[in-house]
Amino acid sequence: MARKIQIARPTKMELARLKKRLRLALRIQKIVKDRLSILVMEFIQTIKASARVRSRLYEEMSRAQTSFFLTAGYLGYEPVKKDLLGRETAVMIHAGTRNVAGVRIPLFESDEDARPPDELSNPLEYSAHLEHTRDLSRRFLETLIELAELQKSLDLLGIEINKVKRINNALEYVVIPGLDMTIKYLNMKFEERDREEAARLKRVKMLIEQREAYAY
Amino acid sequence: MRTDKERDEAIEGYLTDELKTVNAHLPRSRKTLAELMDEPYPYVLCNDGSEHHFRKKELRHLAELVSEEEQSLLLLPIILEVQSEQGDIVVHSKQGIEAKVLSAILDMPLVVRNMSLRIYRPQVQVLRSSLKTTTQYVFRI
Repeated sequence: MARKIQIARPTKMELARLKKRLRLALRIQKIVKDRLSILVMEFIQTIKASARVRSRLYEEMSRAQTSFFLTAGYLGYEPVKKDLLGRETAVMIHAGTRNVAGVRIPLFESDEDARPPDELSNPLEYSAHLEHTRDLSRRFLETLIELAELQKSLDLLGIEINKVKRINNALEYVVIPGLDMTIKYLNMKFEERDREEAARLKRVKMLIEQREAYAY
Repeated sequence: MRTDKERDEAIEGYLTDELKTVNAHLPRSRKTLAELMDEPYPYVLCNDGSEHHFRKKELRHLAELVSEEEQSLLLLPIILEVQSEQGDIVVHSKQGIEAKVLSAILDMPLVVRNMSLRIYRPQVQVLRSSLKTTTQYVFRI
């Protein structure tokens, strides 16, 4: 429930200050609402993208796994192990940040230009199956990086949405009603003071008139 | 009577801070598409000191949509101005290049009036899905 703001002195200056603050609060609430709607829109888009990438990841994983087992079946486990598992593959990822309505979101991009060319350990042992498996694993890794970016984005956007929602609720249910109530209270106080002043003046006028009447 | 000045000042300070921070992610200065294409890791510096990086794939996609001359005129990121009163979003386009790009991405003709064009929220979703790093929101105060 909104509470009246406690003020030092009920003066006109204070009233003007409160009105200014109310105008500011209303303006900010509009911006906060806009920001919230944009963030929610981005969040929904990211969820959709994340779901898409995740299903693609599962598909690629199953394809890579199938291909791996097929290759192992053709060539035997040892050559596959030597070529695929035993060799280090350089994966260059460029990590940066991007800004979405004030939220810093990570940006991962696999650096294709900086990637060294893959070389087979023994050209005589070249196998199309092996190459295919390597391609599929690389694609799987790239999708995994994409999904990592989306998942982190989701986390950060979710946290920011919660924060903005709290700000919006504080403004809507505490700050603005509190300011409204205080302004109303001050207005009533001034009206009451005016009425008292009018009554006092009437009384003084009456006393003066009575005194003048007695004097004559 | 108890004075509650400290609390009031805190609220006021917080509110003004909110106004400042809401647009703190704006770039200090924008770069042209041609400049960004030449950089190995294209990015712009933001007012809050952070870096806004661009995805190279998006830049290449934009470069396909505009001519070479327009590449040196198109400033990035494209600013999407969110207005409180209206439900639409304004994009300023002085030379009409932004309009050309947006029109190609949205696959619909866009009219530039007073050097700006208006797009609606569903269109913004489409736009943002293909231009995630090359567009940025601004909240009009």
